[in-house]
Amino acid sequence: MGIVKASDVVYEYIRRDEEGNVEGITTAVDKVSFEIAPGEFVAILGHNGSGKSTLAKHINAILNPTEGTVWVDGMDTGDEDRLWDIRQTAGMVFQNPDNQIIGQVVEEDVGFGPENIGIPTKQIWERVEESLRAVGMYEYRKHSPNRLSGGQKQRVSIAGVLAMHPKCIVLDEPTAMLDPSGRREVIRAVRGLNQVEGVTVILITHYMEEIIHADRVFVMDQGKIAMEGTPREIFSQVERLKELRLDVPQVTLLAYELKKRGVSLPDGILTPQELADALTGQKRGQS
Amino acid sequence: MLRDITLGQYYQTDSVIHRLDPRVKLGGTLLFILSLFFFQRYPGYLAAALFLGIVIKLSHVPFRFMVRGMKAIVFLLILTVAFNLFLTPGKELVSFWKLTITWEGVKTAAAMAVRLTMLIIGSSIMTLTTTPNNLTDGMEKMMRPLRVFKVPVHEVAMMMSIALRFIPILLEETDKIMKAQIARGADFESGNLLKRAKAMVPLLVPLFVSAFRRANDLALAMEARCYRGGEGRTKMKPLVYQKRDRIAYLCILLYLAVSITVGRLVWMWI
Repeated sequence: MGIVKASDVVYEYIRRDEEGNVEGITTAVDKVSFEIAPGEFVAILGHNGSGKSTLAKHINAILNPTEGTVWVDGMDTGDEDRLWDIRQTAGMVFQNPDNQIIGQVVEEDVGFGPENIGIPTKQIWERVEESLRAVGMYEYRKHSPNRLSGGQKQRVSIAGVLAMHPKCIVLDEPTAMLDPSGRREVIRAVRGLNQVEGVTVILITHYMEEIIHADRVFVMDQGKIAMEGTPREIFSQVERLKELRLDVPQVTLLAYELKKRGVSLPDGILTPQELADALTGQKRGQS
Repeated sequence: MLRDITLGQYYQTDSVIHRLDPRVKLGGTLLFILSLFFFQRYPGYLAAALFLGIVIKLSHVPFRFMVRGMKAIVFLLILTVAFNLFLTPGKELVSFWKLTITWEGVKTAAAMAVRLTMLIIGSSIMTLTTTPNNLTDGMEKMMRPLRVFKVPVHEVAMMMSIALRFIPILLEETDKIMKAQIARGADFESGNLLKRAKAMVPLLVPLFVSAFRRANDLALAMEARCYRGGEGRTKMKPLVYQKRDRIAYLCILLYLAVSITVGRLVWMWI
């Protein structure tokens, strides 16, 4: 069994009016099933309200499915007794870096998680050091989080989760509040975790550029998984993505438009380099 | 303007005072404040000022940071001084209209001003040199005996440390909201007190909304990181008294002894 497995997960929000009467039910997640293998880098994509954040909160047992089951490393997230084991196995990084940093000094914040799960003092220090090094924030260990940039804060948050030695990290739009350079910093750190430390990563985002390194992509729409595949497979379906109100990376869009106008190019071009190679290769072919 | 409150703002540097056990600093600050209210004579204040000066020097924190904290209480200070100045009965000094300034009034007002100033600076030193986490750790450990009476010591300490951590963030936010409102024509500066208080409402409402949202997010993030109260929690930085802490305790006691005797001696001498 994979590290995370969901079968027919349904989650309903009950909307209430001011008197608390039930106004209606919104199905945020609708019969979603998937399985993620250990060490995989999975991206979940979707526009606002597509149910991607709701789905993410199921993996950390913050939400429990209305119907269906989610297993994390073989543990049913509905099992109250294993709640803390589940949260330790599947760490979660949230959107707003300010609202998830508890410590007044970087290293104290990273130590917060290990403290909670009762790790002896000496090992906490080891874990804090290795986690901060993994995200490249070790030099800032004595700094106050208030003086860091958004990207740096978010990397501290990631270190805080990493220090609990999770098998899997869920990042819920970790870059939504960052500037482009902060976004790159965070994504680089996340990729490092996945490739160097072998941590399973589930990245939720609505920035297309961030998913090109993923092993697998789920595109969510109206609570369902609308598309699934490698980034290349996903990006070769530009029309479908537009239907789902998602932006395609500029290069992919350019390649798509060129192709529509008769330039022969392969489907799903992801990087400027690829496009350049494809175009120059073609020129050479013609001459 | 709103960022000037230094209380609860850690100043990052390395000094003897920074490295002291938070319990020493807490106890020391408490004793220092108490001592301020025991003195009746000026030599006592002189001793206190001297002690404070030495601690400031040792702390490596620029003096202007401590003075910044004062701005927040200027109003309180003026009020206290005014009340003492005009309402203390005694030998008449100056009198105009219905107000009388007495010699005793001047003396109490001056004493009060000195006390308050030293009190704020004294507690600023504590918060400037101790990280809030450290501070609450200290409080938690000092108040541990209260758990027998079912006082939720750990929870209170955690709440305080979070409150302290969010002060600068909320201040920044207030600043932002204020600027946004000013840009749209809000006026916080003019008008009488009532009008100004009314102008604060559109500032406070969004601030509260955002504070609640932050609290919700933070609670979620804490739970996601396995926080479940004080039970079974270990410490990254457990508090253990060092040699320097014992020396510091001795210094504080010495200060108390000296200031009290000096106060008494000069008192007898006069």
